[in-house]
Amino acid sequence: MKKSLGAVAAAAVMALSLSACGGGSSSAESAKGEINYWLWDANQLPAYQQCADDFTKAYPDIAVKITQRGWDDYWSTLTNGFVGGTAPDVFTNHLGRYGELAENKQLLALDEAVEKDNVDVSAYNEGLADLWVGQDGKRYGLPKDWDTIGLFYNKAMLTSAGISEDQMKDLTWNPQDGGTYEDVIAHLTVDKNGKRGDEAGFDKNNVDVYGLGLNGGGDSSGQTEWSYFASTTGWSHTDKNPWGTQYNYDDPKFQASMEWFAGLVSKGYMPKLETTVGASMADTFAAGKSAINAHGSWMVGQYTGYKGIEVGIAPTPVGPEGKRASMFNGLADSIWAGTKKKDASIKWVEYLASAECQDVVASKAVVFPALKASSDKAAEAFKAKGVDVTAFTEHVKNKTTFLYPITDNTAKVKGIMEPAMDAVVSGKAPASSLTQMNEQVNALFK
Amino acid sequence: MSTTISRTAAVAPARRRRPFNARRAGAWALLLLAIAVSVLPFLWVLRTALSTNSSLASQSASLLPADFTWGAFLRVFGLQSPADAIAEGGSGAAIDFWLYLRNSVIFSSITTAGAVFFSAMAAYAFARLRWRGRNTVFSLFLGTMLVPPIFTALPNFLLIKNLDLLNTMLGMVLPYVFMTPFAIFFLRQFFLNMSREVEEAAMLDGAKHLRIFFQIVLPNAAAPLATLALLTFIGQWNEYFWPLLVGSQDDVRVLQVGLGVFKSQSPQGSPDWSGLMAATLVSALPVLILFAAFGKKIVNSIGFSGIK
Repeated sequence: MKKSLGAVAAAAVMALSLSACGGGSSSAESAKGEINYWLWDANQLPAYQQCADDFTKAYPDIAVKITQRGWDDYWSTLTNGFVGGTAPDVFTNHLGRYGELAENKQLLALDEAVEKDNVDVSAYNEGLADLWVGQDGKRYGLPKDWDTIGLFYNKAMLTSAGISEDQMKDLTWNPQDGGTYEDVIAHLTVDKNGKRGDEAGFDKNNVDVYGLGLNGGGDSSGQTEWSYFASTTGWSHTDKNPWGTQYNYDDPKFQASMEWFAGLVSKGYMPKLETTVGASMADTFAAGKSAINAHGSWMVGQYTGYKGIEVGIAPTPVGPEGKRASMFNGLADSIWAGTKKKDASIKWVEYLASAECQDVVASKAVVFPALKASSDKAAEAFKAKGVDVTAFTEHVKNKTTFLYPITDNTAKVKGIMEPAMDAVVSGKAPASSLTQMNEQVNALFK
Repeated sequence: MSTTISRTAAVAPARRRRPFNARRAGAWALLLLAIAVSVLPFLWVLRTALSTNSSLASQSASLLPADFTWGAFLRVFGLQSPADAIAEGGSGAAIDFWLYLRNSVIFSSITTAGAVFFSAMAAYAFARLRWRGRNTVFSLFLGTMLVPPIFTALPNFLLIKNLDLLNTMLGMVLPYVFMTPFAIFFLRQFFLNMSREVEEAAMLDGAKHLRIFFQIVLPNAAAPLATLALLTFIGQWNEYFWPLLVGSQDDVRVLQVGLGVFKSQSPQGSPDWSGLMAATLVSALPVLILFAAFGKKIVNSIGFSGIK
């Protein structure tokens, strides 16, 4: 349903955007009125509401109406809005989606405005602004925030297992025996009789606490599931990023990593894939069912918000190439090509990307803003709340990040890889089956 | 007074005749189990609605609310500030409850009234009028019940878009308001059983079909019409997908779609369980009230077999 809708949206919108481009707006006249802004994360709503209020103070002629929609419905309603002409003027955009939106001429190129208003794109954390330059060389979004991956752990479980927090900071990993990362995971796994995963007599079919939580198979990107260790082997999703045209799921290094990951399930150190359906990995962690969860920095608020659970955050393990790795993802604000309030929308997007607004976001300690200076302020704000976020910021400081894979056909790639990865993680197919899937994926780019 | 006495007199010996044996105990146990199975989920919903989100996961075993709070209900009615909501581990999003409730009532009422009335007319034509190809048309009509609604969603959406009716109440009710094959089938079976004599008598008195329909058939079919109306209303009240596609603007957004803000906010984030459960309870209330008021009628009408 969603896919067919997308296709129709694409077709219908061509015509729409053509007519939208033709007009060309006059500057002073259209920087007035109310513009609609959409986002999905309700936790950031208070911060952006304040930005909107401040913005209207600076530009009394422009009002901003913010609408929040849950992630599940966000993209389908947005696509509908493109077709029906009711899409928001400005909306929060995701790297995994914007390639297709740009291709379908849904997004307004911001180059002219960036040049005219002297937006300094080098002030953002390295690489973030470049992600939003499309294949046609045009800029389709101004960065708002970024995220990396870290290991959330249950402090009480660590203490009772005799593992120190310093040990957690120096974990190593390799695809053969899993390194100290697997040792720790095994030791933190406890069966119903109280036997640990690395002790004789461990009953892997009756596990009480899993060493590592599982979110799902990870589909094509494995953002929080497997990309943080698979990429320490020198493997990367695509031949180049952004805008690669070959995926590398057939690489033996990658398949060895996936083999190890699936092995955690068969050893009883990680829950079975079917138990994750409809469940939240974070809630399962809070219920005391897993000791370590690899998750994104946008989840800090949720993990530290649980009552009665002491949570620590460690960096992801160091891999065979001697470095850690984390996917570097970033959101941006984009303008719908069909907007009737182009100039006002540009002003709002520039404001969202400015230090004024990003400092407000930083002060709420929910996510890391895209601007370097604001990013540091967010780290301070987290610290003031008693949360140490260096596990996330170090990836950026030490340049151990790699970019979220941006290509064409992302929806189709996901459609092929999701069941394939699920089959591997649930043990129904060997990791070598991914070679064939990779051929299907690469055929999309011919 | 006398009736009470005679009733107890009648009941008492009956009790003595059926001693409490193993079979009765088994029946009671089964009954209690059935009650528990149907009531416990509601209690669990209520318990979750009264819990603080951030304590839910760590106190998942307790039957009592985890860290009791009315916060989730305040959130549903938009009485809690986003900052307070987030502090309780909830969603910072607010829903415009009363506006969505109004929209839900309008949407469900219009579609119910329209569908029942037009279906009754069609059913009358299928049951009481004689015309060529009647049975063929009727089988075709029944055949459409086999088409899953998802197949028609996209064409319907494009039609509504081309009519420029997106985000209007008219666009939302159009696919439902005229008739549904099930309603026609349901009413036709009932009309078939109505006596011909009354109708023929009315015809002798000079009544035409319109008059027969309005003055004889409709009043006599009050019970099945009420049943159908109630079932349609409940169905429409719970409708999600079409209102989500067509009515995404606030002024036509219905409650079921509005509840979506309590679902997962960010990818991989947990839903605001307390808020979602509180909102679900509140949104189910109107239907529960309707059911309490008209439930008896449904049972009666299903047992009712027409004028003999």
